[in-house]
Parts: sequence; structure tokens; C-alpha cells
Amino acid sequence: MLNPKRKILMIEEDRFLRKIYRDKLTKVGFEFLEATNGEEGLNKIIDEKPDLVLLDLILPIKNGFDVLIDMKANKNTQNIPVVILSNLAQESDIKRGLSLGAKDYLVKTEISLSQVVDRVKEQLVKT
Amino acid sequence: MVKYNFQKEDFSNNLYKERPKISEVISIVAHQLRHPLSVIKNYLEVLMLEDLGKINPKQREYLSDCLENVERMALNVNELMSISLIEEGRYELSLKLLSLEDLTEEIVDELALWAKASNCELSFQKLEKRLPRVLTDPIKIRMVLENLISNSIRYKKAGQGKIEIKVEQSGQEVMFSCKDNGIGIPKKDFSKVFSKFYRSEEAVGIDPNGAGLGLYINKAIVELSGGKIGFSPNKGFGMTFYFTLPIVKEK
Repeated sequence: MLNPKRKILMIEEDRFLRKIYRDKLTKVGFEFLEATNGEEGLNKIIDEKPDLVLLDLILPIKNGFDVLIDMKANKNTQNIPVVILSNLAQESDIKRGLSLGAKDYLVKTEISLSQVVDRVKEQLVKT
Repeated sequence: MVKYNFQKEDFSNNLYKERPKISEVISIVAHQLRHPLSVIKNYLEVLMLEDLGKINPKQREYLSDCLENVERMALNVNELMSISLIEEGRYELSLKLLSLEDLTEEIVDELALWAKASNCELSFQKLEKRLPRVLTDPIKIRMVLENLISNSIRYKKAGQGKIEIKVEQSGQEVMFSCKDNGIGIPKKDFSKVFSKFYRSEEAVGIDPNGAGLGLYINKAIVELSGGKIGFSPNKGFGMTFYFTLPIVKEK
């Protein structure tokens, strides 16, 4: 059984997307944390040790790829699973994201909110 | 406060000096449109799942219509993205070995219901002998197959439509063909068929919403996979569209 109060950190600039994910993920029982840019996101990863990070790639200050690189270089954060949720849909972006250590790569326009929740749960079961 | 790390000077120095290429403009516009579209799609989904309370059947119908239109717009935006990437030479395929006949069968099954509802007889007979596999992008070649078969269903003449799909070996290639008895394409337009935004007058009459990008994108996908795409008018009515993909020798 999943621990219902596991922490999800969403790093996403768009407030509308943060709002709907906050509502959805809290509704299904997660604790929801959020950050609006890559730098704030990385700080929260270090301070809050979330159980999973939902990461956008096009972000102010520090982009998502750099967030991934930095968290993988830190032994305290390198094992936290990351699911990329981005609008970048080119094969090279997907390959890059996965090769940097993301567990899953989801394209925003191609996936529904409930499917994202399922994929998040799938990753948490594995950890 | 959040600050973006672009420099003001960068912006003013380049402004007006260089005209951006149209493909760049398309790419930027498409990127900008994708984001709000995914937001709207998510919000509609939450309403329809009744996360925020019950909705009545009429409200459900309206929300479902909204979702259908958002999805159509997302498809158009994706097509625009593909166009700009093709024009910039940055359109990428992720090549994998696949069986074109299996994929065709899958898509024919998926489109069967729509074909039937549109009074179209859609037939595909798999050959007894297995065909060699081809190297192409499974997701993108699926788009090509869906597009070619959907075109035949959508642009049918009044009365019963008839569509014959074949996948066969032709020398060192596997050839897919889709023969219909639909409205066809006027001879004067033959040279424009694979140009972007081309739509025949009759096609516009049947479906005013199409963008005329499907065949252009199909051509890029087939050619980037090392194949060829073409068409020939049928005796009587309709067209046959075909494409080939090279056979890869497997150990």
C-alpha cells in the first residue's frame, strides 16, 4: 500500500497548472509542494526531500535539465525519482531527460491529468 | 520576485535587424499555444470527472464538445510544430524495426467503426507470408497511416465508399497502398498535392476545417525513413496513395 501522505514537489512556472495539480494530488492523498522556478525547486528538493519531483523543463532562472543535473550530483537528492512533465516533445529532449536520470517523461498535451497521477503512483510503488 | 535571465540589450540589438524566418515564428507561436491548451484540457478533464461536484448531462455534453475542440486545436498546433521543424531540418525520427502489416491491421481495426458509420467499406487482407520488417518511427508512421486512411474515409463521394488497403513486398521495399473510390484530386492540382496548406476545392467543401498539412508531413516522415510517397488516379473514381519503406536486412 502507498503511504498516502507522500510528498510530491511540482516545479512548474504556470500557476494554472500548479493549481489543478495541487487540487488533484491533494485530493488523491498526497502532500503537495510547489516551486515556480528551477532554483527554488532545487532548494526545496534539498530542504524538503520530497518522495517524487514533477519537473517542467522550460523554467525561469534554472531550466529543468540543469535541475536534474544538480540533484543527481548531490548524494542526498540523487535517488529521488523525477518525472518530467513538459511540452518539449522532440525525441532529443526525451532522450536527454531520461539519460540525465528522469524515471519517466510525459508530454503535457499528450497526457491527461489522471494519467499523470497514475504514472506518479507507478513510480512511487517502485521506490 | 522571479527574474528571467535574459539581457535587455540582447533583445534590442536584434530587434528589427533580422527578420525571423517564418518557420521560427511558427515554432514560437506553436510553443506558446501548446501551453494554454494543456491547461484548458486539464481543467475540462477535472470538471468532467466530477472532482468538483456533479454535472448534468447537458453540461457534460458541452464540456465534451469543448474538449473535442481543444484536442482538435492541439492537433493543429502539433502539425504546425512539425512543419516548422521540417523546414528547419530539425524534424527527428526515432527509428525502430516494425512490421508495417501489423501496424496497418491495428489502425484499420481502430478506424473500422468510423468507416462503417460513414458508409465506407474498409478492407485489408493480410498476406499469408510474413513481410520483412522496416526501420521507421512507429509513432510518426502511425500518423501517416492514419492520415492516408482517414483521408479516404473523409473525402468519399455520396453513396457507398470503398477503400482497399494493401501491404506488400516490392523488390527491396515494403509498399503500403490505400485505394479509394472517393472525390479524387483534379489533374491540374497534381503538382501541389504534397505542398503545405494544399487542399482541393472539393475537399474544402467537404471539411472546411482541415489545414492541408497532413500530406506534407507524411512526405517528410516517409522520406526521412528512406522511402518514397506518391499517388495515382484510379480508373473511374478516386485515388491510390502509396508509400514504400526500405527493407532492413536482419541477422
